[in-house]
Amino acid sequence: MEASQGGTGKMVGAQVRRVEDPRVLLGKSQYVDDLDLPNSLALAFVRSPYAHARIVSIDAAAAQNQPGVRLVLTGADIAGAIKPLRVEYEPAKAPTHKPCDWPVLAQDKVRFVGEAAAVVVAADRYAAEDAAGLIDVEYEPLEPVSDVEQALAADAPLVHEEWGDNVMQTLQAEIGDVAKAFQEADCVVSERLTTGRHMALPMETRGCVASFEPATDTLTVWSSTQVPHVLRSHIALVLDFPEHHIRVVAPDVGGGFGQKGHLFPEEAVSAYLAHRLGRAVKWIEDRRENLSASLHAKQQAVQAELAVRQDGTILGIRGRFVGDVGAYSEYPWGSAFEAGHAASSLPGPYKTPAFSFEAVSVATNKTTIGVYRGVGLPIGVLTMERLMDLAAHKLGLDPAEIRLRNMIRKEEHPYTTIIGAEVESGSHRESLQKALDILGYQECRAEQQRARAQGRYLGIGIGCYLEGTAPSSAAFASMGLNLGGYESATVRMDVAGKVTVLVGTHSHGQSHETTLAQVAADELGVPLADVKIIEGDTNAVPYGMGTWGSRSAVTGGGAISRASEKLRNKMLRIASRMTEVPDDDLELAEGMIRRRADTTPLMPIKELAHRVLVQAGSLPRDEEPGLDATAHYEPPPSTHANATHIALVEVDSDTGQVTLLRYIVVEDCGTIINPTVVDGQIQGGVAQGIGTALYEHALYDENGQFLTGTLMDYLIPTAIDVPQVEIGHIESPSPHTPHGIKGVGEGGAIAPPAAIANAVADALAPFEVRVDAIPLTPERVLGWIEQRQAAA
Amino acid sequence: MKPAPFKYARPGSVDEALALLQAGGDEAKVLAGGQSFVPLLNLRMASVESIVDLNRLDDLAYIRRDNDTLCIGAMTRHRQIEVSDEVQAAQPLLCRAAAEVGHLAIRNRGTIGGSLVHADPAAEWPLVAAALDAQLVLRSQDNSRTVAAREFFLAPLMTAIEPAEILCEVRFPVAPAGAVWGFQELCRRPGDFAIVAIACQLTLDDSGTCSTASLAVGGAHSTPLHVADVEPIVVGSQGDAAVLTAAAEKAAAAVDPSGDVHGSADYRRRMVKVLAQRALKEAWSA
Ligand SMILES: Cc1cc2nc3c(=O)[nH]c(=O)nc-3n(C[C@H](O)[C@H](O)[C@H](O)COP(=O)(O)OP(=O)(O)OC[C@H]3O[C@@H](n4cnc5c(N)ncnc54)[C@H](O)[C@@H]3O)c2cc1C
Repeated sequence: MEASQGGTGKMVGAQVRRVEDPRVLLGKSQYVDDLDLPNSLALAFVRSPYAHARIVSIDAAAAQNQPGVRLVLTGADIAGAIKPLRVEYEPAKAPTHKPCDWPVLAQDKVRFVGEAAAVVVAADRYAAEDAAGLIDVEYEPLEPVSDVEQALAADAPLVHEEWGDNVMQTLQAEIGDVAKAFQEADCVVSERLTTGRHMALPMETRGCVASFEPATDTLTVWSSTQVPHVLRSHIALVLDFPEHHIRVVAPDVGGGFGQKGHLFPEEAVSAYLAHRLGRAVKWIEDRRENLSASLHAKQQAVQAELAVRQDGTILGIRGRFVGDVGAYSEYPWGSAFEAGHAASSLPGPYKTPAFSFEAVSVATNKTTIGVYRGVGLPIGVLTMERLMDLAAHKLGLDPAEIRLRNMIRKEEHPYTTIIGAEVESGSHRESLQKALDILGYQECRAEQQRARAQGRYLGIGIGCYLEGTAPSSAAFASMGLNLGGYESATVRMDVAGKVTVLVGTHSHGQSHETTLAQVAADELGVPLADVKIIEGDTNAVPYGMGTWGSRSAVTGGGAISRASEKLRNKMLRIASRMTEVPDDDLELAEGMIRRRADTTPLMPIKELAHRVLVQAGSLPRDEEPGLDATAHYEPPPSTHANATHIALVEVDSDTGQVTLLRYIVVEDCGTIINPTVVDGQIQGGVAQGIGTALYEHALYDENGQFLTGTLMDYLIPTAIDVPQVEIGHIESPSPHTPHGIKGVGEGGAIAPPAAIANAVADALAPFEVRVDAIPLTPERVLGWIEQRQAAA
Repeated sequence: MKPAPFKYARPGSVDEALALLQAGGDEAKVLAGGQSFVPLLNLRMASVESIVDLNRLDDLAYIRRDNDTLCIGAMTRHRQIEVSDEVQAAQPLLCRAAAEVGHLAIRNRGTIGGSLVHADPAAEWPLVAAALDAQLVLRSQDNSRTVAAREFFLAPLMTAIEPAEILCEVRFPVAPAGAVWGFQELCRRPGDFAIVAIACQLTLDDSGTCSTASLAVGGAHSTPLHVADVEPIVVGSQGDAAVLTAAAEKAAAAVDPSGDVHGSADYRRRMVKVLAQRALKEAWSA
């Protein structure tokens, strides 16, 4: 392990209170909508009521004459001024990928219900909405592509004519001899299932404020974003505006979960309008827009088979994942990312000698798919964990036992998986065992039997996963994606010995002001209160990738550790001259320069800081002045976290209603920086995963009409519906990262669909139901029971 | 999600409110707790010229027992009913139903009158009003009339109220001696509108034999539906399984549900049977 050299190791691992809590809990956070600039104008977008239609004409005269209306723009008005969003993969790495243009305002046709066709700029949002209602867009409806099956039919209407079909990308791979594995298997099980289209649904919807200052020729965009620098680069690109004259600020952000890790058409339009009008503009989307016109996720149809020996040993897996990616491709990941991610995650923590997969991404006339917490993993894990249960059932093995037999063992690390990932460390069997212990597995099985005798149906479901966190630049490059995986940080000491850390990650609930400060405090031997973390302002922080992909503790923490190391080395070098103690016998700890051997304090850090920064004449001549350092950190090729989830459910066999009784997670994210924060990430992730499993469903009818435009139709679990998760921790530090940190941001959301679907199948084992779809709505569950009863 | 412009008035008396409403004609509407009306305005699914806000009218917020009748002012909040000892003593089914209306914040604002006039077929108040044969007192500037709840609801979000009328009071019969009740609701999450809900009240003699019965269905019909045909099946029985099944099947046959994203018409009909059985059983085992 790359241990922290100078730190006392006291803060990393400590359960300190979250630094951001007083602000968040007292309602003092400053979100983008809290920013009121003088003379600001409000935007409202006119959105398509059709899934697929040609725009014949737009009459905005009535709207233009409304009181308070400053400007109305249509697609035709901005055609040359704002480039469409376009995701290009490197053709050599992604030969089947077809790019498409996403016009920021629809040009010739609209491709989903909710697509922006025009924008109104008015004195306030009320006036803007009044005017938007008066804009008369004449549409010529086209036949919509409403699902994947239709999209793949030979005579299907085309979402993007230039493609010739509706397939955005097809990925295929075979590793090992899969056909042979299936021939030699004692037992083959197969699963077909569909997952529900759903979404991140951050509590704060999307939004931005843009302003232009002619005196300095500066365009500033405050956006509720996870990726300030990515946004800046892409705004520069689509507006053809010099990037060094753009500043992007992400203020407090009320949740992102991947949805806000993109450039959106509305942000580009806002930035353009601020520049064009020389006035600040504000766009705050409402909930209906967020539901219908932001990004959806995870609607896939899966078919997979598992080949095992009599004793449950896995011989081979094959899977086909077809993703319904909607109308366009999101910037910068590309909407084809998800299906491939799901497919390649299939083997999970299980040793698999042969594996093949196909991932097909298909365009339809629906809202575009984007990355959402866990991306494809919840689907891959659901599929694999269902297969494991089916195989166990067929072989008469306990579901826990078949998993234990196939999991990578502790002594096998580093273990190279079938897809070539080096799993550096982990606790697959241990986390499963510990989760079973927390549950009281045997007692629960006995209770299940007793309950069945009374006509009550309890079920236990297991979901295990292996997650590659903090993807590296090379990992993206291998897929042909133009995106970095590195992170940057600057660490500055001031004359009082206090530390300011500027880092390119962004916190929108992840508590970086606490955890990243804990890392810096240890690295520089200062108290936590002496560290301030600054993120989210491209004029302040070095170029970074923002926060997504369970990356910030690894990459932000890594960059801070590296930058701190540079600064620390310099401080110790200077201190060595002053104290005449060799620098390798010095350390920074508890606010002091100390002798390492016997921890004798030699000089307060703040005295050193003052001497270097203010009494600079005393600085040795060969030392550069200043006390700051910047580092750019490229994470290792992969940093693997793992976990086991167990759900205990009860199913009402008369109504199909599923009730979650208990939920257990044993997670391993390597070294824990702060247990409170890890627990919070798990609890929140599980809540979203419960949504995926039981509630959330963005529905369209056969005409591509969106049916779930309010939170009365689109259901998410509320606090009442989410049990207090019983969390256990195991720490298998990464040998490759500073402090042994791995990622944890997405984990909680990855396994609930698997654990809950398995639990429901287990509860209904007496009916031998086939769980073939999520979300597990009461009507669907009852349907499975009745189907079986009818068949019997 | 901002409403279109409207005029706003907050009268200090019922008479003043009635006058404003009369003057506003078809284009004026009253605002009670705002828990249904305001979302409709914000979604621009409803728009009005003027709003008459009843929230200052404390004399429309009361719970009063008048012999065998429990009178509840239209502006009484769901929560006030839920926690009222007087209601609990007189007609406990109302407290039980109130607790199922939305979440606490909604119950603190929303009113019984607003819920009845809004007339969501899946809402709790219309359901229990139909089950218990409540009477609704409606007033306009120059008239006052009483309409039975079972006649009040015409279609989803449509009632017999006239544009110039205000619902002032809801009258529930006090539960008679020997009364027992059952209340069953199926919804996706606690606090949601019902997919299906059943309310029933029976009177049982000392031997457990039923002498009167009333059962209504919510969520599975265009209005809350009192299923009169249940009574003859149940009366005279002691609630054995065959009777409950027959009664529940009657209820399921009486409804004509429409489906939505939370449950198809077919599912709702089947759930009427399941829940009616459970509600009757609950009543008998009280
Ligand atoms: C998230 C959420 C969940 C909810 N869940 C439920 C639920 O599970 N069950 C349920 O039953 N309800 C639920 N509701 C609705 C809630 O109960 C409302 O309070 C109720 O439907 C309307 O009452 P109100 O006082 O808010 O009326 P308002 O919204 O103010 O008015 C509703 C309508 O009634 C008219 N009106 C109101 N009072 C009078 C009167 N005295 N005379 C004449 N006309 C009048 C108004 O003009 C308007 O047309 C929910 C609401 C929300 C926001």
